[in-house]
Order: sequence, then structure tokens, then C-alpha cells
Amino acid sequence: MDMNTNSNTYTIIYTTIIVTLVAAILAFVSQSLKAKQEANEKADTISQMMTAAQFATKADLQKMGNTAVLAKYAEEIGEAFTVGTDGKKISDIKLDEVFSPKKLKAQNYNIKGGSGAEIPVFIFKNGVTVVPVYGAGLWGPVWGYIAFEPSSNTIKGAYFDHESETAGLGAKIKDDPEFQAEFNGENADFSTANVFDIVKGGAPRNADGTSVIDNKIDAITGATMTSNGLDAAIDTWLGAYAAYFKGVNNVEPKTEED
Amino acid sequence: MDAKLKETILNPIFKGNPITVLVLGICSSLAVTVTMKGALVMALSVIVVCGISSLILSLLRNTIPSRVRIIVQLVVVAMMVILVDQILKSFEATYAIDKQLSVYIGLIITNCIVMGRIEAFALGNKPWPSFLDGVANGAGYGMILLIVAFFRELLGSGTLFGFDVLNWLGYTPNNLVILPPFALILLGCIVWVQRSIQKDLQEK
Repeated sequence: MDMNTNSNTYTIIYTTIIVTLVAAILAFVSQSLKAKQEANEKADTISQMMTAAQFATKADLQKMGNTAVLAKYAEEIGEAFTVGTDGKKISDIKLDEVFSPKKLKAQNYNIKGGSGAEIPVFIFKNGVTVVPVYGAGLWGPVWGYIAFEPSSNTIKGAYFDHESETAGLGAKIKDDPEFQAEFNGENADFSTANVFDIVKGGAPRNADGTSVIDNKIDAITGATMTSNGLDAAIDTWLGAYAAYFKGVNNVEPKTEED
Repeated sequence: MDAKLKETILNPIFKGNPITVLVLGICSSLAVTVTMKGALVMALSVIVVCGISSLILSLLRNTIPSRVRIIVQLVVVAMMVILVDQILKSFEATYAIDKQLSVYIGLIITNCIVMGRIEAFALGNKPWPSFLDGVANGAGYGMILLIVAFFRELLGSGTLFGFDVLNWLGYTPNNLVILPPFALILLGCIVWVQRSIQKDLQEK
């Protein structure tokens, strides 16, 4: 090669071409795969909600595939809408619209900022109400879904996910079914700011070793920061839903079916 | 196949293994070896990134201005890593595993093996041997990843590739094995075994 590859002009032109070329390739690939990625994220988010509402386990939903998950969701969902922190309904959520962790993050700022929050409520046909929570774990965001029995503050189930908590410790919020099962049957206390507690050192227990039905569960051993982060996320979000739940639970008697 | 090419392929697998001999790529080998599935996807991703980046940069090697060669390498490797990440996110079958590997797919770009092989080999050799060198180094890395993941998933979860192996026998999964320090202990053991077989690696 007789060209001087070390001249300034050559270097500038060379890098410009390389960078532009790479940018073009990446933009093209990103655009052409975007639809598929969004479909995957949507099915994942929906299956997390359905896991919390105890329709199936996360693993089973994953095996069903995206199309089947969306079909099951369309079959089971009753109504979905957003509410403000005053508990009043703001707008309907369309069937093909989901609250991805990105949207939850935006609402997390609104809740903490004290204004403009529009947080989703998903009510399935069997009356189970699912609401999301979002917050900061140790290394990155943690989020999840908590399902309540029809018109009640009793938790039916919960599912949590995280971006980068430590495997074997903080990652247990997602991977340990026993941790998630601890929520089942406990009650959220919407009358205080401390709606739900993940207690380090053990939640109160009955004489036979079962957890007392209250708003407390055990934290994860060795994952204090993740447990605290999740606890704060739950308090913040369920606190934001307090007005909504108080309203619903007072209007409809707890014994009513459907 | 001539002897030199054979050496290019076989050397990184055992004698010059990037993890156990060059001690590169340790961070990700501690982080992604909790399950075999994760380790396998990570290994394949590194093989693809390493092989194709080496190929591209070897093709470009005579045109790259030497003052900005690291930047050019970085741009090409980054492109490959993003492509792999985007593709993994797009398939139903790999979406969950990509989520589990989270930042570590993106962090392949900081894996010293990739840039190390490009700088040491691809910039001075023809495309075909460079491609093989990249693939072989990725495979050497992947092999250690799978060995570590085998023990960590078997002892830490009682499963292999998600299938129950020990749990039905009443095995209680050992949580220590899932934590990163155990991966380092295991890696140390692998280095120990290799050095006792390969005497010339021992320091006098």
C-alpha cells in the first residue's frame, strides 16, 4: 500500500468512515429487531403479572411461548386503568399496552416527586388486582408485581425481578420461590407509611413456626441491601396506591364475589 | 491442515488457554457460571464476537492508521457485542437467558481476550488464521466457563441445564457454590490441575 496511513487527513477520513458505517449497521439492526424485542419484553412483563396473580408459574408461562401468554392474558384480564395517588381513575390501559420496567421507572420519579403519577391497576376477571412496584436494589433496579385478593388488602401472590442483583443472594427475590411465597396470605397495611415490611432478623412467628398474618415477612439472609431496597420500593408504591385501595375496600364488602 | 494452523487452533484450548494460563476474562467467568445455560450462551457469544472481530480487523489491518488502531478495534468489537446482544434479545428462546446475563453480554467488549487476540494476532496475520485464532480463544474461554458452570450448577442448584440431577435424591443445594467466591476457588483448582499436568508452566 503506497498511501501514507499515518497522515492526519487519512486518519480523520478513515475514522469518520468506520464510525459512520458502524452506526449505520447498528441503527439498521436495531430498527429491524425492535418489534421482536418489544414483543418479548411485553410477554415477559405480562407473564410476571400473571405469575404474581397465581395463574401459573413463571417457568410454565415461559414454556407456553409469547403468543399463548398474550392469549391467556386477553382471556383473563378484566379491566386495566391508571390511577393517581389520590386513588382516582385517570385513563384506561389498552389490552396491547403494558407497563414495562422503563415506564415504571418514570412513574417512580413521579411518585417520589409527589405529582403527576399515573400508576397502573390490573384487575383480572376473577377479581384479583395486580399492581407493580419499582425501586433500587443493591446494583440496579428491582421491580415486581403484587397481586391482591378481590377487594381486599390480603396478598394473593407476588413476583419480583431485578436487573443485576448478586446471584445466590439478592437474586433470590426472583429465583427463590420460597421468598415470593412468603408474601402469600399476608396483609398490606394501607393505614401507615410502612405498608409492608421485609424484616431483617425474622418476622413474628406463631408457635407452630408459620408466619403471623401481618404486614411482615423475613428478609433474605446475606442480601440486606436488596431486601431493604425491595422493602422501600414496596412501601413507596403501595403507599401511592393506598388511597385507591382504601376507596375500593370500603365501597365493596370483602365477602362479595366477582 | 498445516502444523502452524493446527497450533493456532489447539494452543488456546489447553496449552495457552486464555483463562487458566493468560488469566484473562476472569470477571465474567466468575459472574456467568451459575448455570450451564448461561455459561453456554456466554461462551457462544464470546466465540462469535472474538472470531468475527478478528476476521474483520485482519481484513482491515493494512489500512488502519496505527495511531488510532485501538479505537478502531474498539469500534468493531463494540459493534459485534451490540449485534450479539440485540440478536439474543430478539428470540423468544434466548430472551430470558439474555436477561439473566444482563450486563455481562455488553461487558464482552471489556473482555481482555477479545482485544488481546486482535492486538497480538489479528493485526499481524491473514484473515483465515485470525478468524480461527479468535474462535479458538473464544472456545478455550468457553470450555473453562462450562467446566466451572458444571460444578456450580450441579452442587449449587442440584441441576444441569435446568434438569434435576441431584435434588430427587434428597440433595440440599449448597448456596456457597452459587456465590462468586466459589467460582474463584474452582478456577484456582482448574489452574492447579493444569499446572501439575503441564510442568513447563510452573515457576522455578
